[in-house]
Amino acid sequence: MGCVVENFASHVTNDAEIAAHDFRDHQRFPAPELVIYQMSTGSSVAEYLLDTDAPLVLNYHNITPAQCFDPWEPHVGAELHAARRQLSRLTHHAFAAIADSAYNAAELRELGMEQVVVSPVLWRAPEARQGGAAGSGTRILFVGRVAPNKRFEDLLAMMAVLRTRRPDAVLDLVGGVSSDRYASALRELVVRLDLDDVVHFHGSVDDRTLDQMYTESTVYVSASEHEGFCVPLIEAMSARLPVVARDAAAVPETLGGAGLLVDGPDPTALATAVDRVLSDADLRSCMIELGVARARDFDLTTAEASLVESLRPLLEEV
Amino acid sequence: MADKSFDIHRIRAEIEADAETRRRQDPELARLERDIERAWIDVAPPGAVGSDQGELLLDRADRLALIDVDAPVGERRGVREVKGAIRKATYWYLRYVTDQVNAFSSVLTRLLRRMNERLEDVEHLVGIDRDDRDLLDPPATPSAATAAVIAREAGGGQVVVLSCGDGEVVAALDGAGCAAYGIDRDAVVLLPGVQRGLDLRTGDPQSHLDDLEAGSIDAVVLAGFVETLPTAMLVALIEVALDRVASGGRLIVAVAEPSERSPVEAELRRGRGLSPQTWAHLLDRRGAAVRVVDAPGPRITRLVTASKP
Repeated sequence: MGCVVENFASHVTNDAEIAAHDFRDHQRFPAPELVIYQMSTGSSVAEYLLDTDAPLVLNYHNITPAQCFDPWEPHVGAELHAARRQLSRLTHHAFAAIADSAYNAAELRELGMEQVVVSPVLWRAPEARQGGAAGSGTRILFVGRVAPNKRFEDLLAMMAVLRTRRPDAVLDLVGGVSSDRYASALRELVVRLDLDDVVHFHGSVDDRTLDQMYTESTVYVSASEHEGFCVPLIEAMSARLPVVARDAAAVPETLGGAGLLVDGPDPTALATAVDRVLSDADLRSCMIELGVARARDFDLTTAEASLVESLRPLLEEV
Repeated sequence: MADKSFDIHRIRAEIEADAETRRRQDPELARLERDIERAWIDVAPPGAVGSDQGELLLDRADRLALIDVDAPVGERRGVREVKGAIRKATYWYLRYVTDQVNAFSSVLTRLLRRMNERLEDVEHLVGIDRDDRDLLDPPATPSAATAAVIAREAGGGQVVVLSCGDGEVVAALDGAGCAAYGIDRDAVVLLPGVQRGLDLRTGDPQSHLDDLEAGSIDAVVLAGFVETLPTAMLVALIEVALDRVASGGRLIVAVAEPSERSPVEAELRRGRGLSPQTWAHLLDRRGAAVRVVDAPGPRITRLVTASKP
């Protein structure tokens, strides 16, 4: 598009893939014709932007509901409450917004924003994987930070029910910890439900290990109650894994009809759905094919083109 | 499956019905679900579990209310001795403080229990805690002939049937050119309708109505579950239903006459459900244009149709 782009952040690390400047050094650069602010939590950058007159576009990736964190990490809950307040103020300050899902766009419109465009998340498909086909037994995978909104407890409850039918079932949980208190309660629950030998918390893993886990799994399951988009669902579908997920927030939209949805936190229904996917070969193969096709909808080149097309009219306005 | 598509709606309904059937038929599964719930309540902070787990939360409050004066000293030699000495030296003070806190907590938890008992008494008096599913058959469902009358009364557009059962009314509405779907609590009951290709979804009818946006639907059909609600809840429901219906849209009530209930049903459902005349009266008071039309029955012999101005 011929634009000169500078990236700013509140915390700049040396290992970032993209070079960025501390936002406090903003004044050293020419005044921007357009500022795009990626919002997914509260930040001092938001306060700074609220005090400037630069034409602002929000790039909204949703904010975890504070209620999810309040009982576990009250300080995080307070930050998230503050982030929501910032979002509300920013929607009156920004002249347009980009959302990576219709679900996120609807939230912005409810806050009064009129000019909101939906543009898919920029996600790079990994090398072709053979998950699902290569996995054997009942190896269940979930990828996501250990945060209360992901409802790990429902996954553990599902395992307790599922193992009565499938004693070979194993659950791999991949992702760093966002709440120590929550993680500790989950470990305690694993012990109480006697799941020590079948539930594995792997923490954060490198890309290669993650690829391997996708390859060795047979089904991907999510019980998350809040997702603004959910990239791991796309990764799982791309990796030829059938997806079973709780019908919540942007999850149905991201799956686009390629996954099996289950209502509410119902461990028996979740276990029944997993059992069905694993025992019904036709369903499984169909879900895998639909999933792969759905993942292609988020092809990076297409998503980049969509983002450029979304930005073009906004640039013309300023 | 050869065409690389699957009826996700049907499979979802089958899974929900399968889960529900297992839950009803297998007492071990029901017990396991309760054990899982209890285990989570034991390890999670009180605010992190659902408010519907009142009794389990009260148990937890009882346990948390007792503060232990004997702080653990650990096992590592040296550290243990130091911690033990500190504990011994401050024991009199900790005991003094914890005795007071424990006394206060004990009063609070007793008060909570008493409030809970009184609340349960009130709920029992107004009848909202009564679950007659094991005692009685479900309320009357519209026959095919009555469903046809409902379809004529609906007037087209998007229609939701609350307590849709196996989908008789939804099928009639579909046949009349409406975009109809149904909600029912019972995943097992609605499965045959889903397998016929009808849009029937598991869920709580009242919650579904609450979640709809104001003026977002052309017609609402109220059946079944409204015969199990006490009057105060029905009055509130009318407000919500009329709000959700678009201007010019319709609210259709398909209920049996309470005075014609069998003696058993009359006693067990006493104070719940309203006659078509009372529905008509309440809807009229809310400013709707109300008509009562005959229906072929059985049991449901009159329908109340209210048009929102």
